[in-house]
Amino acid sequence: MNAIEIRGLNKSFGEKKALSEFNMTVPVGSIYGFIGENGSGKSTTEKIICGLIKHNGGSIKLFDRDYLDDDVKAKIGVLIESPGCFPNMSVWNNLMLQASNLDIKDKKGEVKRVLSLVRMEGSASNKYKNCSLGMKQRVGIAMALLGNPKLLVLDEPINGLDADGMRIMREVLLDLSKSGITILISSHILGELEKIATHYGIIRGGKMLIEMTDSELSKSCRTFIKLKANNQDTKMVLLQKYSEIKVDENDYIRVYDREECENIVTYLYENGILVSEIKEDKISLEEFYIDLMEERVNNGI
Amino acid sequence: MDKSYEFEKPTFIKRIKGMLGVDFYRLFHTPVFYIFLIISAIIPAMVLGMTGTTSPNGEITPLYTNTWQIIASNEPMYAVKSISEYANMNMVFIFGGIMISIFIGHDYKSGYVKQLFTTHPKKQDYMISKTLLGTFSMACMCITYLLGGFVAGLICGYSMDVNFGSLVCAILGKIIMSLGWASLYTFLNVLFRKFFGISIASSFFLGTGILIIGVGSVVGNSTMLNLFLYGSSVYACLSSNFVTIIVCLVCSLMWALIYNLIGTLVLSKCDVY
Repeated sequence: MNAIEIRGLNKSFGEKKALSEFNMTVPVGSIYGFIGENGSGKSTTEKIICGLIKHNGGSIKLFDRDYLDDDVKAKIGVLIESPGCFPNMSVWNNLMLQASNLDIKDKKGEVKRVLSLVRMEGSASNKYKNCSLGMKQRVGIAMALLGNPKLLVLDEPINGLDADGMRIMREVLLDLSKSGITILISSHILGELEKIATHYGIIRGGKMLIEMTDSELSKSCRTFIKLKANNQDTKMVLLQKYSEIKVDENDYIRVYDREECENIVTYLYENGILVSEIKEDKISLEEFYIDLMEERVNNGI
Repeated sequence: MDKSYEFEKPTFIKRIKGMLGVDFYRLFHTPVFYIFLIISAIIPAMVLGMTGTTSPNGEITPLYTNTWQIIASNEPMYAVKSISEYANMNMVFIFGGIMISIFIGHDYKSGYVKQLFTTHPKKQDYMISKTLLGTFSMACMCITYLLGGFVAGLICGYSMDVNFGSLVCAILGKIIMSLGWASLYTFLNVLFRKFFGISIASSFFLGTGILIIGVGSVVGNSTMLNLFLYGSSVYACLSSNFVTIIVCLVCSLMWALIYNLIGTLVLSKCDVY
C-alpha cells in the first residue's frame, strides 16, 4: 500500500500551469524527499494533498482512500510554510487549542507526548512569538503530530535553521519514521535531506522528473577519485594540462575517469607536487540534482 | 510493505465541539472582546448624558425623554428622522461586526485557518462556530449596553416609566437578532477574507442598517422591511410583544441559514489562503 498515490494531477492558477499530469508514489513508512526549484510545484502539490487548494483533474489517494475523506484527513499532520499559531499565546496553549480542535480526549497527555517527541518539554511555557525559528518549526511539527497521524506533510521545515536546529530536526524526523509514520518532506537543503530520506521525487515545471529510492540514487550517482595535494600551486599546474579539471570547495581534485587518475598523480609528481590523499567518493544528491537539471535544460525539457 | 489502516470518522458533534472550544477559549482570552463589552456600556451612557438640542435662549433639551429609549425606540421607525430614533441597542450590531471582523481576520493572518482545514473540520463547521461565537459576543454586548444605559439613565435622572413586558420583548428580540447579524458578518468576512479592510468596512456599512433606512425613507414604515435583519432589529421596540420575538426569531434564523449556506459554499469553492 502507498501512503500517497497521485496520478495525472493538474493544477492551473489562471493561465499558469502549476502541475501538469503529475504523478507521485510515496510508500508507507518512507521518508520521501520532495525536491524541486522554487515555483516548480512542490508547495502546490502539498497544499492539494492537504485539501487546502483544489486541483483541476487527476486522482489522489491516501492509504488507498480518497484524500478528502474526513477520517483520512484526521490522520494527516501538516506543516505548510509556517505553523498556524497565535503569537501571543504560549506554545502549550497553542498546542492545547489544536488538541481541542481535534477533540482529543487526554489533551494534556497528548500535548506532553508531542512536546517530548520534538524535544521541547522545557519550552512549553514560552510565548510562541518569542521562540526561535527552529523552535517554531518544531512547534509546527508538534502540532502536526497531535492525534497520532499516519502521514506527515512538511513543507520546507528545515529552511533557515542553524546547524543545531537541523540536527535536532533530523533526529526528530528519523525517530518519527522509526515509529511508522510516513513523511513527505520538501526542502532545498539537499545535503540535509540526503541524510534522512529513503525515497526521492524530483519535480520540475509541474512534472515529476524522476522518483527513486535511496539505493537507486546511490547507483545513479557517479563515482570519482578525490585527490589532495598540500600545495597552493596544484590547481594552476594541473590546469596547464587538464583544462576541465574540477576542484571542490575543500580543495579536493576530482577525477571522474579512473584511468586518468594515475596520469594526473604522475604529472603532479613530475611537477614537484606530492599527493597526500587519494580516496573514492560519489557525487551528492545536490550534485545529482544539478546534473539532472542541466541535462534537462540541455535537452530542452 | 502491505499494511491496512483503519480510520475513525469524526462526527459533526465531535468536530463542532472541538472548534467551539477553541473559539470560546480565544474569545475569553482576547482583550478585544472585553474592550467591545466596555464600549457597549459606555456608548449608551455617553449618548444619554451628552446629547441634547440647544434652544435660542441657550436652554438644552435632552434628545431622550426616557431611559429606555436608549434601548429601543418607542415605535418601529425604519426611516430615522433624528439621532434619538437611531441611537439605541442596534448600535451593538455595529460593534459586533467590527469585533467579528477582527476575530476572523486574525484567524487568517495567524495561519490558524490553514492549520484548521488541513485536519478534519469542514467549512460548514467553521461558519457555524464563528456564527455562534459572534452571537454570544453580541448578546453579551447587548447586556452591557443595557447596564450602561440603565446606570446612565439613573445618574442623569431620566424617567424610568416603561411597559416592562414590552421592554423585555424588545431586549430579547434584539438579542435574538444577534444570530442573524453574526451570520451576516461571518459571511462577509469569509467573502472578503483576503482583504481585511474591506471586511471591516463592509461589516460596519451593513451594520449601520443604512440600506434599510434608505429603503424605509422611500417606501415608508412598511412591515415588509421586517424580512431584513435591520428591519426586524428596529421592530424590536418599546411597543413590542410576543409576536415581535417570533418575528425576530424567524428573521434571524432565516438569514443565519442563508448566510451559513452561502458562506459554506464560498469556502468550499475557494482555495484556503
